[in-house]
Amino acid sequence: MEKTEIVNKLTPLFRNIFSDNSLEISDELSALEVENWDSLSHMLLIAEVEKNFGIKFKLKDLNKMANVGEMISIISSKL
Amino acid sequence: MVFTSLNFLIFFPAIVLIYFLLPKKVRWIFLLIASYYFYINIKPIYAVLLAGVTLTTYVFARLIDKTKSERKKRQLLIADIIITLLPLFFFKYFNFVNEGIYALLNFSGLHLSLPKISLLLPVGISFYTFMALGYIIDVYNEEVKAEKNIGIVALFLSFFPVVLSGPIERATNMFHQFKANIQLNTAMVVKGLQLMLWGYFMKLALADRISIYIDAVFNNADQHVGSSLLLATLMQPIRVYADLGGYSLIAIGCAKVMGIDVTPNFNRPFFSTTMSEFWRRWHMSLIKWLTDYIYTPLAFSLRKYGILGIVIALNLTFIISGAWHGAALCFIIWGALQGLILSIEALTWKRKETFEKKFNLKSKWWYILWGCVFTYLLFAFSLSFGGDSQSVPKVLNILYRIFTDSNHLPYKDGDTMLYSFIAFAVLLIKDFMEEYYQGRILLFNNKNVTIRWLSYYFVIFLIFYLGIFSGEQFVYFQF
Repeated sequence: MEKTEIVNKLTPLFRNIFSDNSLEISDELSALEVENWDSLSHMLLIAEVEKNFGIKFKLKDLNKMANVGEMISIISSKL
Repeated sequence: MVFTSLNFLIFFPAIVLIYFLLPKKVRWIFLLIASYYFYINIKPIYAVLLAGVTLTTYVFARLIDKTKSERKKRQLLIADIIITLLPLFFFKYFNFVNEGIYALLNFSGLHLSLPKISLLLPVGISFYTFMALGYIIDVYNEEVKAEKNIGIVALFLSFFPVVLSGPIERATNMFHQFKANIQLNTAMVVKGLQLMLWGYFMKLALADRISIYIDAVFNNADQHVGSSLLLATLMQPIRVYADLGGYSLIAIGCAKVMGIDVTPNFNRPFFSTTMSEFWRRWHMSLIKWLTDYIYTPLAFSLRKYGILGIVIALNLTFIISGAWHGAALCFIIWGALQGLILSIEALTWKRKETFEKKFNLKSKWWYILWGCVFTYLLFAFSLSFGGDSQSVPKVLNILYRIFTDSNHLPYKDGDTMLYSFIAFAVLLIKDFMEEYYQGRILLFNNKNVTIRWLSYYFVIFLIFYLGIFSGEQFVYFQF
């Protein structure tokens, strides 16, 4: 799957979880810049990503996701 | 040796002086010796336990690092966690578990007498145990390489500014700093001393002062009217913030003087508008530890249950946090209450957010103020279970009387109340300026040297004028 495809698929998930319809995602975007992105909504996001992409993360993967860019590369490595 | 003792005021400058005179390569060795000296000064035998936890952590981390098989790594991790937790469990929970077993046996008709050991909790054990566990889990998760030099691991777990009550540090933040060639940096020394000064103000002028009123009321709760109990209950969060927050600033400041950055522990908690925000600003190093090592693995394993799984993980984490604070039912209830409040917030935040957006409430000062006051009240009342009165019936009685017996004037201790009020007002104004006017009104960091020194003298004056100098302990030493 192309990166743009992953981004297109991720964007509505982000917007829904964080309740922000204008949220645009970029590689550098991290929890610091998004209101409502905390340890609770993060886990909801993880579960949604797994469901929508049909993949399974490992606990170790979570520690490596410092920003959206890293999340995308972990997703693409599992597709 | 406590930060507020005269010994420390001699020990610390001497340590800093020698530290910077020594060649950079051996400074960590000196810090290790100084840290053990500091710890042994409290009670020599406790240092054996600290050394034991250090050795276990070092050996297991190296073994985990060298092992290829995932299964074996996991077994080693579990073995290390059990061994590291043993002393903590023995000292902290032995009598609690014992009493539980005794009650059960009694209930089932067996009347046996079980040994009760009178143990004094080795100071700092809850903190260095958590740091040791964090390190080993990080090694297991390949976040950090197992350290080959046992001296660095020993220094990490005994580093004197943080060993007694945190902040709970991470190997990823500390190891490289201990090994680095740190230059004498005037800006860091000044910043460190500023933090220490403010920390001493919080502890001596506020925490120890306000404690006089709170202790006078709670130590004789039966003799006080509901309104006094209410006042003391409302003062409790201020006391804990000033005490642990003050302690943390002294610790962070000490380390900073020596060029070492330690993670912050509080971030103006009383300006939180929700409990979730409050817990991101209060005892942050503990919460970060609990989030990374308890909540995240739990929530991850329960994620298929959606929000329900997350709420379960959240509640379990805070119940563990309660039990960490103390082996008593009260502390567990305190943890459960935090979990409950946070769960309600997690389940309702979307609806609340829609409502707030509709009426543009988040930009209204009175709405923000209401959020802060409500959060404060929630925390203050839940803290009844985490305070000094550690039996459930006693706490319930206090709460009952607050709501039924508050039509009399509260107990008056004029001087204590006035001094506490002045100290709290100063703290609140400082936090307020930093929260809403950051960088716009500078005192400690003003470019004008006169304003800077006037601010220092003002705080020193307040410490001497309002402070208590009877060498009070820090609240968190008991944990």
